[in-house]
Amino acid sequence: MGMIIAVISGKGGVGKTTATANIGLGIAMHGRKCVVVDFDIGQRNLDMILGLENRVVYDLVQVMDGEASLKQALIKSKSNENLYFLAASQTKDKSVLVSSKIKKLVDELSLQFEYVILDAPAGIESGYEHTIEFADSAIVIVNPEVSSIRDSDRAIGILDSKSQKVKDGEEVDKYLIINRIIPEMVQSGDMLSSEDILEILNIKLLGKVAEDKGVIEASNQGTPIILDPKSVAGAAYKRIAARLCGDNIPIQEPTVNNKGLVGKLKGLFS
Amino acid sequence: MNFPWNKKRKSAEVAKDRLRIAIMTDKQNDNYPFMEDLKKDIIDVVRKYIEVQDIDIKKECHGEFEALSIDVQVKEK
Ligand SMILES: Nc1ncnc2c1ncn2[C@@H]1O[C@H](COP(=O)(O)OP(=O)(O)OP(=O)(O)O)[C@@H](O)[C@H]1O
Ligand SMILES: [Mg+2]
Repeated sequence: MGMIIAVISGKGGVGKTTATANIGLGIAMHGRKCVVVDFDIGQRNLDMILGLENRVVYDLVQVMDGEASLKQALIKSKSNENLYFLAASQTKDKSVLVSSKIKKLVDELSLQFEYVILDAPAGIESGYEHTIEFADSAIVIVNPEVSSIRDSDRAIGILDSKSQKVKDGEEVDKYLIINRIIPEMVQSGDMLSSEDILEILNIKLLGKVAEDKGVIEASNQGTPIILDPKSVAGAAYKRIAARLCGDNIPIQEPTVNNKGLVGKLKGLFS
Repeated sequence: MNFPWNKKRKSAEVAKDRLRIAIMTDKQNDNYPFMEDLKKDIIDVVRKYIEVQDIDIKKECHGEFEALSIDVQVKEK
């Protein structure tokens, strides 16, 4: 049985969909079979980030309702044969989700894939609750700023009370990704450091991703940033995927990008 | 730099303190300390009459009023 991982955040727009696409592709590049599922019903986006929007014929609600088979709805990634994608419904709203049908779908997926990654909608309402319901573990995405961190704590609270695993007396594993770190600001004391955030949220750290303009360019093109060998964010997602595949890779702190002469000289001698 | 004449605290430090308090307050507003015990007791009572699937208790704050919302889901036949 594959592992079911929900990507959550509480606050919207912090990078869940970007993370889902890149981690999914990273795991696939590691040779593991992986499916990424867009659970943001009514606000389909993962298809765009993966560059697969033209291939969507059936969505997950149609599969759950028996209008299409899983085989028909699963879309193979253009860049890696180990990665598949299941689209969110664009026409219906979150109220169409029913626990029993979700359970059946994720169970079926976890028979076919080693990793089943669910991209949660923003907020902590029913769409979110349904995404985490049958998850084995959760990746919590935060930005180093107060509202994102506070909201993520609420999302974690719901995860710890509403997921099936918790109701069965087990624990849901939680991993933190700090996204959009600006090293210069952390250094000058104007952005919360990773240590500060970990102290407040008290969950395991999975990775740190720097602010990277390339992420928007990558989404413009529909080619996840992990495919760009020069990108720092891409490299961070590679390490995160490797960690999820069991590799023991130390966490790297995003470093200040010294563009000045002194920085260049420092770079020469380090 | 932490020079004595530079008294202004760094904003990250302020953020950390504010977050700590906000999150603690959020948690208190979410819950009564007796929530888990209450849940068990309610399950025991309802179970005398009908099988319980799940129960959800929420503390709700509406302005000055506090309410306790209890949702009991019975077992499907
Ligand atoms: N490391 C990064 N550096 C720069 N921009 C980023 C980074 N990560 C994400 N972004 C940008 O942030 C925006 C939101 O990202 P994304 O759509 O992945 O967030 P989300 O959490 O899925 O949003 P929603 O809650 O609406 O589903 C996008 O414009 C994305 O390009
Ligand atoms: Mg999203």
